[in-house]
Amino acid sequence: MSTVASPTRERGAPRPRGETVVEFVDVWKRYGAREILAGVNLSVYRGEVLCILGPSGTGKSVALRHINGLTKPDAGDVRVFGESIVPLSEDQLSPVRRRLAMLFQGGALFDSMNVEQNIAFPLKEHTDKTSKEIAELVAEKLQMVGLPGTQKKMPSELSGGMKKRIALARSIALEPEIILYDEPTTGLDPLTSEKIAQMIVDINLRIRTTSVVVTHDIVAARTVADRLAFLHQGRFQFVGTFDEAARGAHPVLSEYFRSMGFPCGTGAFPAVEGRTVGQ
Amino acid sequence: MPAPQQSATALFYRNFRWLRFVDRFGHKGQAVVEYVGGLTQLAGQTLVGAVSRPFYGAEALRQMDEIGVKSVSITGITALFTGMVLALQTAYSLAAFGGKQFVGRVVSLSLVRELGPVLTALMVGGRVGSGITAELGSMQVTEQVDALRAMAISPVRRLVVPRVLATLIMMPVLAALADVLGILGGLGIAIVELQMTTQDYLTSIWNQLQISDIMSGLAKTFFFGFEIALIGCWNGLRTEGGAAAVGIATTRTVVFASICVLISDFFLTKLFLSL
Repeated sequence: MSTVASPTRERGAPRPRGETVVEFVDVWKRYGAREILAGVNLSVYRGEVLCILGPSGTGKSVALRHINGLTKPDAGDVRVFGESIVPLSEDQLSPVRRRLAMLFQGGALFDSMNVEQNIAFPLKEHTDKTSKEIAELVAEKLQMVGLPGTQKKMPSELSGGMKKRIALARSIALEPEIILYDEPTTGLDPLTSEKIAQMIVDINLRIRTTSVVVTHDIVAARTVADRLAFLHQGRFQFVGTFDEAARGAHPVLSEYFRSMGFPCGTGAFPAVEGRTVGQ
Repeated sequence: MPAPQQSATALFYRNFRWLRFVDRFGHKGQAVVEYVGGLTQLAGQTLVGAVSRPFYGAEALRQMDEIGVKSVSITGITALFTGMVLALQTAYSLAAFGGKQFVGRVVSLSLVRELGPVLTALMVGGRVGSGITAELGSMQVTEQVDALRAMAISPVRRLVVPRVLATLIMMPVLAALADVLGILGGLGIAIVELQMTTQDYLTSIWNQLQISDIMSGLAKTFFFGFEIALIGCWNGLRTEGGAAAVGIATTRTVVFASICVLISDFFLTKLFLSL
């Protein structure tokens, strides 16, 4: 992890609710005969970490891709920073996308570029910084994700966990206002998953960003989430804090927790109140 | 136990079995229209991207090396041996009429007007078109193209325009090289097999070949280059699935690019002959 002192925050404590930065309004999406999103409504507030939970194939990633316009809804509206992005063309989406970043499931690092070039890529594209400034920023971001000195490595030389951390460094290169994480801990060992989850919290606090994390990893969700949104049968069946979910606030969510080995409302579920993250 | 009730569609097809071809034809037709429509849209976006900012000059230069310089050997070998075969076949055919001295003319005219551009396009289409599809297809299935879009970078400007420009610029250069090497191959056969002198061979070419012959041949290569690069990019960008899909898209590019080169060659030849 970073050698820079991590900011801390008390989990479970009520946080002041900021302005709405992302809003789904009755969003519908169908692939072939399958209804993926069936009238989804959701608000994401500035500064929070929202985890979208749900079993595989329920449309979590599809919902996430609506936020930066990679996928368009069949019906309904998606508002980002108060602006409807559904009718925007690719060129018109550019100003919105520059304020967002996305961490893809496999990292999506550019194979033909080394680590330094990958992280420098958005900086070269969207800023007028000199090569020296960019090199310094790349080193700083690598430090933040705990991989200093890996500038010259190619993506093929990196492990799955390292790829995700490098991709995370690339995502935060422009210090975006919102970061979208698509399954950031999937396919990683528990230790690396925990590291990535801690990094998400650190970054959320350090660069004061809003994070939307798609995952089915309840442990990671418990580490990072201010709020959970449980997607099931095309709708968010539950939106609330982890504590509310852990108390068994929603039968389907409780069933999902139990299926993942986390019994709800039985007292066996570890409490999250007062837990300090980022240390 | 009652028999399960058949759906209206199943009943319809049971009674009108012969109508199935309409359905199949409709699906195929729709796929063709969608493919051609997408290709045309990409062509438009590429033309707009080529004349508006941001420009990716360094990437275009890198692609010129990848597409042009690295295709020199395959194009050269093809042209050299085609020229040699052409000289042998022409001499064999014309020997009965005592027309060996026309070998230079026939070889040069065939190569410069037709074989040089077309063979270069077919070889480059195979090597470069498939390479472009494989690269962009892999990027597509590993979400690298989406990563570009998410970073507010247009995949058309960043990936397609440099490849199309590089192919457009390098195709005439490769075709010109193919023309020269093919004629030299013919010269080698004329000297070794047909006992002609270098001067006789080159004089017959000089007397026959017009600038318009060379220009019409090279002009075709711009169109061929555009078709090959565009088909390569389009098949790459519309790849969905995994490694198998990339393989299928690559094969499709080689087939489509070759067919398009041969069909467009006919119409371009008609056009240039009428000018």
